[in-house]
Order: sequence, then structure tokens, then C-alpha cells
Amino acid sequence: MIEWVGRRAIAGYTYLAALATLFTQAVLDLVLPTRQGRGETLRVLVRQILFTGVDALPVTTVIALLLGIIIVTQAGTQLPRLGAGGLVGSIIVVTVIRELGPLITAFIVVGRSGTAIATELGNMSVTREVVALRLMGISISRFVIMPRMVGMVLSMLCLTLYFDVVAVLGGYLIADAQLTIPFYAFVESITKALSTTDVLMTAIKGLSFGSAVAAICCYHGLAVRSSFTEVPQQTTRAMINSFVLCLLIDVVVTVPLYL
Amino acid sequence: MNEAALVLEQIRTPMAGSPHVLDVNLRIAAGEFVALVGPSRSGKSLVIELAAGLVRPEAGRVVLLGHEWNDTQESEQTPVRLRVGTVLQQPGLLSNMTLFHNVLLPLRYHHGAMPERSREQAVMAQLDRLGVAPMRDRFPAELNQGEVRRAAIARALILDPAVLLLDDPVAGLDAEMVLVLKACIEARRAHHPLTVVAALRTFSPFIEAADRLVVLRDGRVVADGDRHAVAGAVPESLRRYVQ
Repeated sequence: MIEWVGRRAIAGYTYLAALATLFTQAVLDLVLPTRQGRGETLRVLVRQILFTGVDALPVTTVIALLLGIIIVTQAGTQLPRLGAGGLVGSIIVVTVIRELGPLITAFIVVGRSGTAIATELGNMSVTREVVALRLMGISISRFVIMPRMVGMVLSMLCLTLYFDVVAVLGGYLIADAQLTIPFYAFVESITKALSTTDVLMTAIKGLSFGSAVAAICCYHGLAVRSSFTEVPQQTTRAMINSFVLCLLIDVVVTVPLYL
Repeated sequence: MNEAALVLEQIRTPMAGSPHVLDVNLRIAAGEFVALVGPSRSGKSLVIELAAGLVRPEAGRVVLLGHEWNDTQESEQTPVRLRVGTVLQQPGLLSNMTLFHNVLLPLRYHHGAMPERSREQAVMAQLDRLGVAPMRDRFPAELNQGEVRRAAIARALILDPAVLLLDDPVAGLDAEMVLVLKACIEARRAHHPLTVVAALRTFSPFIEAADRLVVLRDGRVVADGDRHAVAGAVPESLRRYVQ
């Protein structure tokens, strides 16, 4: 039993170290000046931002609107019974902007783009496209990993902020239509509850989740060796590990705020 | 003797899927065209992968263009890789790029300062030489095996390499295209110093272009020399690979 726990601990540590190495190398590739492959890398980056960020806007809009509607409906009907009707704004800030906005955005990005990255890189490994790139002197880290990572981090950050705004808008729609809370009162309750820390927290979470998801999905995609049957296996692992790591990061970032 | 372009010295390394061990000593001079021939699982592809620095031998050393693979990190290999064109059995064309962009990629990546028009002209000339220019806008999945292979060879030649490593370059090529490929390599060698190491599993006219044949079986060199010398030296069972 102790041996099993020890082995799992070492495996977990090795895994996190590999992710950290991948991430660090991508950051170095981003900041170290080189003219080599700049244009091609930029093309890959733009494609990644379009796919992960721009193409995800419709589904993010729908989910954010619905979430805003659900939360304000619940808060707007339950809180007045407890004499806390004025806390609707605080509820939106705490649940949507601080917590659910970054988390649900991360889940959307994992489901849409993280799995796509893991699958694409897995297929590239099996068909030896990755080896062919190495043989052409093209850096896998600079050409394959870094633009995907940067694209995903930027997209995640923007989508998280967008999600928060749309969810608040969805909340207002239901507040106005069903709960007859006037616009100025709704906005006032949110602006009173919202602090710079909340905005910073949502941004930090967006950046952290984006980095974690991108590193995990690239790692698992490139871990595929020789068979197409490994691709869905690694993609599933990438998805599950991304969810778990995002929740862990969320705990690490959130809990100290309330201590 | 010319300076060596490729040296495989005292190489001993296991061969995947075979009980045998690759055990070779090879010295290939600059500008030489060497054909590695022999049956499947004789170690030809492994020699190409060793030469390309994709596999590290258990014992011995591999020196390509004066650069010893064992001593260098991945990040330091780029200068050598730019002087070596390699096409493996699975050519590895990028599936999300057209044939044209596949061949253009190394130029765009490594020669960012070159005008785009010059790069495109160089790519079209290369595709034309190998007879795949009409397929320039097709994706690899839309091409047949021979077309993919020729496109991969075009990509390997686009940076004007000093060494060309080819694993089964005639696989999937019809008889006419084998001659086109042979003519392309010969023309290139006539104008530029180019060392060619090609692994071939069947006899084809492509072998006629080789200066030297190395016959492998079960991981060992059975015969090494020009075509006529080798034909006389190999056992009857291997003669069909050289004649």
C-alpha cells in the first residue's frame, strides 16, 4: 500500500514537472528574441485564437446568458424571503464573476479546444508529422506548443471576461422582466459588490486555467506514440486532468482570500 | 578519399521487431550515392534513422557532416538539420497544409527574409521537377502514396541540403515516376555536391544511379561495393536485390 502511494506520488510529481517544463519552454520561446519562424508561428497563433476564442463566442454567450438567468432567478426569488433581497448583486459577483465564470469558461475551452489540440497533436505524432518537423529543423516547442499555449491563454482570459459580462447581462434581463428590479438598482447592487480584487481574481484564474489546460493538452497530444487508438485515450486523460487541475488551481487561488 | 559525410562507427543497437542486433561500420564519402539494400527487417531503415539522429545507438557513434549526434542536445541540432534532407517511410507531410504549403514551410520558417515571390518560385520549380506541380493545392489525404512521397522529397530538397537520407523513396511510385525521381536526383548531384543515402527494399532503376551498394541482412553488412562487385559477392538469395 505504502509502495503504491509512493509510486503514485512520484508519478504525479513527474507529471507536474513535465507540464512545468513544457510551459517554461513555451514562455522562453515567447520571450527570447529570434527571427526564425516568426511569421509561421504567428500564423499558427492567429489560427489558435480564432478557433479557441472567436469561434467559441456563440456557445459561451448562450451558456453565460442561461447561467445569469438561472442565478438571478434563484437569488431574486429566494433572498427576499430571508430579507436579503439587496444581496442579489453580491450573489452575482461571488458566484458568477469570482467562481463560475472562470470555471465554466475553462470547461468550455477544455471541451472545445483542449480536446481538439490533444487530438490534433496525437494524430500528428502517429503520422510522424512531429518527427518530420524535427527533421526539418523546426522547433516543436516554438512552432507547435508555444503558439497553441499563448493562443489558449489569451483566448481563455478574454472569454472569461466576456462570460462574466454576458452572464450579468442575462441576470439583468430576468431581473428586469420577472423580478421588476429597475436597471439602475441592478447595476448599483453589482457595482457596490464588485471590487478590484474580484476583477483581478477572475483575470488571474483565466490566465492560470488557460496555461494549465494548454500545457496538459499539448503534453497528452505529444505523448501519443504509435497507434491511433492512443489518441482518444490521451484526449480523455487530457480532458479529465484539465478539469481536475483547474479545480485545484481554483481552490489554491480562492481559499487564501477567505482565510 | 573524400571527406566523410556520414560515419557509423562500431554501431551496435537492437532492432525493433527482430531478434537481431544492428552491427555495422559504414563510412560514406561526401558526394557519394549509397543504396542500402536487403530484405525487410535487415536494418536499412534503422541505419537511416541513426544517420538522421532520431535513434541513439547503444554502442558506437554516428557522425553526420562532422557533427556527432550523441554529443548534442536537441536545441543544438538545427544547423545540421538544415543541411540534411530526410524522408522516412512515413513521409510526415502536414495534413492541414496543401502540398504547396508543405514544401513552402521550411523556406518560410528558416528563410524569413527571402521575398515571398522567390520562395514561391523555388517551391513551384521543385514541385515541377518531381512532377507534382498540378497537385499543388491538394491536401496530403487527397494524394496517392507516390505523390505524397515525391512531395516529401521536394520538401527535403527545398533547402538545398548537403545530405539526402531517403527511406524507401520508390515505394508507391510507378515505373515512370521512379525514372523521374532518379533523373531529379542525378540532375541535383550534377549541379550541387549532394550525398545520398537511400534504403531500398526492391530492385528498381533507381539503384542504377547509386555509386555504391551496401547489402544488409539481419543487421549485418553482407556486401559493400559497386553494383557489379556486389552482384558477384552476395549469396544467391540476395542477388535479386541488386540485379
